[in-house]
Amino acid sequence: MTSRTQFISGRTGRGAAYVSDASGAEHDRFMRLSARALLPLGSLAAWYIVGLSGKSFEAARAEIGRPFPALALIVFIAIAAPHARKGVESIIEDYVHDAAQKEKALLVNKWASIAVALLWTLAILLIAAPR
Amino acid sequence: MAQAETDGVTDKRPLSPHLTVYKPMLTMMMSIAHRISGVALYLGALLLALYLLGLAFGPGAFGAVSWIANGFVGHVIVLGFSWALFHHLLGGVRHALWDRGLYMDPKGRELLAQATLGGGIILTLLTWILSTLAN
Repeated sequence: MTSRTQFISGRTGRGAAYVSDASGAEHDRFMRLSARALLPLGSLAAWYIVGLSGKSFEAARAEIGRPFPALALIVFIAIAAPHARKGVESIIEDYVHDAAQKEKALLVNKWASIAVALLWTLAILLIAAPR
Repeated sequence: MAQAETDGVTDKRPLSPHLTVYKPMLTMMMSIAHRISGVALYLGALLLALYLLGLAFGPGAFGAVSWIANGFVGHVIVLGFSWALFHHLLGGVRHALWDRGLYMDPKGRELLAQATLGGGIILTLLTWILSTLAN
């Protein structure tokens, strides 16, 4: 959300209902483009993640340590994290009515998605790093 | 209009019925499921971040997080994650088709909804079967 137009809804009392801030088209465009990229990336990621289940420490590291799976997973999370962030933003905007809680939730969402992307990338780089 | 009333009158105003009166349809349920699968993937990504960190920081750390991928609960989580992924992925394809105006007639949209649901399950099973064979 980019604007702070303070429309006070009668239904929510003091809570502010965020109304149109003209960022809808850009949001929509990003979601559709990232979805297209995530078609192959998500399928690859699913394959590798399913492959990880049940594996021992060494076997899992050997699998992720190879360059192609490592890169595939990193590129996946690089695009999936902002996609997921915008998706959950829509959910927060829809269901959280209290203005203060909404701000907090959006903030938590923002940093959680950034953290997940960075931690994935860091972990995979550490695993794939040459000895 | 400066400030809405704060005496609780606004909370007591009647609301039109929605969930209580609307007949649940497949397209409606699939839309809800699309959102829920998205949230599930978000949470799954959080768990996987922990798992990958455990994998990166040595056997001790891995011991603390190996339940995410190994053991019964872990397998259920990864199975659910992969299903949510394929379901959400095919849901995205469904929306992409609708964006182009295809399959919007009554039969078409039912077909797409069914294909998304069935396709998601099929892709999940396929991935797991192939993964078991490959390992």
